[in-house]
Amino acid sequence: MFAEFDLEMPNSLDEAVLALARSDGIETLTLAGGSSLMVDIRARRVVPERLISLARINELRRIEILGPRITIGSRTTVSDILRSNQVAEHGAALAASAEVFAGQMVRNVATVAGNIACGSPAADLVPPLLSLDADVVLTNASGFRTVPLADYFTGFKQDVRRPDELITAISWDVPGAKCANRFYKLARRKGDAITVTGVAVTLGAANGVCTKARVALGAVAPIVMRARAAEAMLEGSTLTVELIEEASLKAAEECQPIDDIRASADYRRHAVHMLTRRLVAGAWADLHLATEVS
Amino acid sequence: MQTRTKLNTIGRNTHRKDGIGKVTGTEQYASDVSVPRAWYGGVLRSPHAHARIASIDTSAAEALGAVCLTFADVPRVKYNERTNCAPPHLYRDRYVLDDTARHVGEAVAAVAAPTRALAEKALRAIKVEYEVLPAMLCAADALKDGAPKIHETILYRGKETPIEHNVAVTRLIEVGDIEKGFAEADSIIEREFEAAPVYHAQMETKSVVCKPAVDGSITVWATTQSIHNTRQLLAEIYGLPLHKINVKKIAIGGTFGSSIQMNSVVPICVGLAIKSGRPVKIATTREEDMYDHCRYQVRITLKLGFKADGTLVAGHMKTTVELGAHNTQGYHFLGVIAGFWVSLYKLPNMKYEGTAVYTNRTPSCAMQGFGAPQATFVTEVIMDEIAELLGRDPVEYKLTQYRGLGDTFWGQGPTVKSIILSDGVPELLEVGAKKIGWDGRPVPGTQTGRFRRGIGMARSFHCSGVGQPRKTGAEMIDYSGAIVKLNEDGSIDYIQSLMDHGGGTCEAIAKLVAEEIGVPLSMVGISDVDTNTTVYDITTHATRGVFAGGAAALKAAKSVKAKILDYASQLLDIMSESLVIEPSEELGQGVIYCPGYPEKRMTLGELAKYLHVNSWGTIAAVESLHPVTAPPAYVTYFVEVEVDTETGVVKTLAAALGSDCGTVVNPGLAAGQLTGGLSKGAGCALIEAHQWDRQTGELASKGFWVDGKTLSILETPLLENLHIDFAHTYEPTGPFGAKGIGEASINPALAAYSNAIYNALGIRFREVPITAEKILAALSTKKVRRTQPAQRELVNS
Ligand SMILES: Cc1cc2nc3c(=O)[nH]c(=O)nc-3n(C[C@H](O)[C@H](O)[C@H](O)COP(=O)(O)OP(=O)(O)OC[C@H]3O[C@@H](n4cnc5c(N)ncnc54)[C@H](O)[C@@H]3O)c2cc1C
Repeated sequence: MFAEFDLEMPNSLDEAVLALARSDGIETLTLAGGSSLMVDIRARRVVPERLISLARINELRRIEILGPRITIGSRTTVSDILRSNQVAEHGAALAASAEVFAGQMVRNVATVAGNIACGSPAADLVPPLLSLDADVVLTNASGFRTVPLADYFTGFKQDVRRPDELITAISWDVPGAKCANRFYKLARRKGDAITVTGVAVTLGAANGVCTKARVALGAVAPIVMRARAAEAMLEGSTLTVELIEEASLKAAEECQPIDDIRASADYRRHAVHMLTRRLVAGAWADLHLATEVS
Repeated sequence: MQTRTKLNTIGRNTHRKDGIGKVTGTEQYASDVSVPRAWYGGVLRSPHAHARIASIDTSAAEALGAVCLTFADVPRVKYNERTNCAPPHLYRDRYVLDDTARHVGEAVAAVAAPTRALAEKALRAIKVEYEVLPAMLCAADALKDGAPKIHETILYRGKETPIEHNVAVTRLIEVGDIEKGFAEADSIIEREFEAAPVYHAQMETKSVVCKPAVDGSITVWATTQSIHNTRQLLAEIYGLPLHKINVKKIAIGGTFGSSIQMNSVVPICVGLAIKSGRPVKIATTREEDMYDHCRYQVRITLKLGFKADGTLVAGHMKTTVELGAHNTQGYHFLGVIAGFWVSLYKLPNMKYEGTAVYTNRTPSCAMQGFGAPQATFVTEVIMDEIAELLGRDPVEYKLTQYRGLGDTFWGQGPTVKSIILSDGVPELLEVGAKKIGWDGRPVPGTQTGRFRRGIGMARSFHCSGVGQPRKTGAEMIDYSGAIVKLNEDGSIDYIQSLMDHGGGTCEAIAKLVAEEIGVPLSMVGISDVDTNTTVYDITTHATRGVFAGGAAALKAAKSVKAKILDYASQLLDIMSESLVIEPSEELGQGVIYCPGYPEKRMTLGELAKYLHVNSWGTIAAVESLHPVTAPPAYVTYFVEVEVDTETGVVKTLAAALGSDCGTVVNPGLAAGQLTGGLSKGAGCALIEAHQWDRQTGELASKGFWVDGKTLSILETPLLENLHIDFAHTYEPTGPFGAKGIGEASINPALAAYSNAIYNALGIRFREVPITAEKILAALSTKKVRRTQPAQRELVNS
């Protein structure tokens, strides 16, 4: 489809938030990589009159470690993530998801903020970030605020971001040595396919006991969700094959998948069970506290 | 077997003439054609699966400056888009635009406007009132008593003929006596199969540009597999003499059969151009394309009777085919399923009952394999099962039953019979079995871990074209023409309307011409042509390009060569029989000489120049050729899979593919055909299926790639695990011993995957795609209910 809109290309973050503030009732949207937005425009799911492109704002494209926090600028692309040693070290699941994200062309343009803001329950970067307890930084003309990613989504394609706010950064605590982080994406084929079920797991351990468990599930609920009951079963225990199986079944119980063209709800539930089991066992093995459970 | 003479260019990998244009993006496809003053066309499509247009108001669109086209503006001529069938077998059921929409996405109206944006705006401004009719979205619904009719009548053999129960066509084919055959059988096996409809997923969507001239003639650039058929059909619809329609040959970005017919946007674009008096271009979107065509949905029941020693004695096949909203080639499709089936194995008694049903879905059309993938699926899975019941190795068993050297063969249906003169099956099966490790394959159903491996084998073939010996009464038209011309510098123009889908057909034919005349390949040019300057060629379909189209060009090359030798004989004072033409790399020319008299030589360029300067005339030939055979291009598949029993995902670990295409003209491109066949075949076997919403008749994918998935290169086995072998055969009726390859390369895939998964899990799948979900469901029922021993399912007679 052919679409007509005004395109603004601010040179700095300040200019961008001012431009957003000046919407004057004109349907305005932010344009990052466009790999989600242009698809929606072409299908006429949205008909914006004005787009504000972030393409020129280089300050939003960065990965840095400051003290205990690792921060990713919102316009960092999936390819940037793949090239980053820091992410490989401090966000293994995020790097793993970047690896199976779309195809090369899309990875070169798709941004982290775009992945979060598009609000898709199948967004691949979200489960890893959720499993890392990441925060989202939202900025508008009058300042910024920080929202835990776990509180960011309020429903299917709904979030706490106000129309005049930009996502400017995503950050999380650099995990300690006793922490393992894994991700797996199940899809109908390897490249350029929407996730049928994505699971990210973070485990922390001390003295042979699981001190922290995060199980984030993609594409099995209206939003990317945490399997909190499963997490609770794991935390505070020494993980055994039986416990991992029980917790995985619990995660499968907690999720709320639907039937669609990609898979049935039953299949997705089964996949949550299998993937959670495999990833928790794998992460536990990563911590050198147990042997691989198959 | 005939021995080969020394070949100069055939059998070697050479640079493709269109290669650089393709990889640098300068190749022109129909959508790249830009004509001054051209307007953009667009098509308004039905949101309903079945609806009558109560009213249509284009005034708002016209007020925007657009030219609009509705059913009232186009000739009321009923036609069939695909004219490869002889006229008595054409079922005409469509108009350029109609007052009834029979599937979601069917064209309802069209516009042309100076810009694309305006054309789209104009489309949105057209107001249509639909009277929504009940939609029949599957064969069962369409066949129900009292089901509303999708077509009241169709035009058949010149008469409006009523359609009853939405049955478009049926076919009954019988050979021998099945009652007697089954009575002689020691065992009988009967199984039901289903193959889902899939999308062709060719790279290029359909485009067309039409330029009208003041004298009423038109020039057309269109995505098509046949420029002459497109021209003839446009002439039939718009009542123009053929010479006033010039259809240009232009590169195609793949078709897999989807442009075998004149694409539905072509006559619409012509209508817009005539009405507006301007050049008009239509380039369809992927969504439009997905709603435009797909492969037939096929359900087959096969019953086979065999003796205790494995000899097949009788077979009964019943087939139901869903056509979708139009019957493009149902009659022929039903015929080829029968033909492919009975030509796989020797079967003295057979009965075939085929029914093709209209439904309110995307119309089906030919797709790579045209019935053979489905017929092979059914036959090769049952044969695997019979071999197991008999306790025999499927490879060994099949070799005792298959149709090979010296057997009668009628792959393209009962009117296309010939005797098999070349057969590489035994060789290919031996090589493939060795490379895949066939003898070390697991015993079905014995593995227990998470990952289970299995090896499956299937063999098939495709006919090289639809040639046959009879003079009249053929179902199909099948001939090609070509012009070959010697230029004044000794180079050759190869002029043919035959289309190259992207696989290198014309490249291969240029090689045949170079080889025959004796010039370096670099001295043969593939001409940029159109219908006005070429002779007729039916279509590039049915794996006939090199075998039949190439044979016509070879015939013309032979005539040219004879004339060259005749003139050279006069100039060199040597009997023409003693002259030889050979390519000289050094001179970059063909050289004519007499082996016994080295001084008696001249280059082709010298000869041509001499003829030119002395006004002796141009050496050229135009020939047409109707092949009298359609030899089987055999293909064998061995695939090794790994099934993840946790997720049901099937991975292809290795494949050994074998092709008997006779003389291999271009090894690299031929291997590419097989790799492509495996990739698409694996997709059809494992994940691909067009699904329609039972309520709305919309595609579940809505026409988007996002959900209309095929497999990609990432699922293809790594090169070191992908073995490709060619048989050492020579087809006496083919050009330089060549047969076809294209379609054959996908045909065994469905069966090979089903057999491989059986080998891994001990579970038979007779419905494709064999999705991860189906595998998990089957694994969980298997756990609950231990499967019956296979023998129990047999009816002993
Ligand atoms: C072929 C293809 C394959 C794909 N495969 C995958 C895949 O495997 N996994 C996956 O998760 N996704 C996939 N996608 C979807 C898409 O690429 C991702 O969601 C991507 O991360 C979107 O980022 P973007 O920068 O392109 O966002 P855009 O398309 O530019 O924007 C998306 C949305 O985010 C908003 N937005 C962007 N930046 C900001 C910001 N800084 N602040 C506030 N709002 C913002 C936009 O207004 C818009 O609503 C695929 C898309 C395509 C076309």
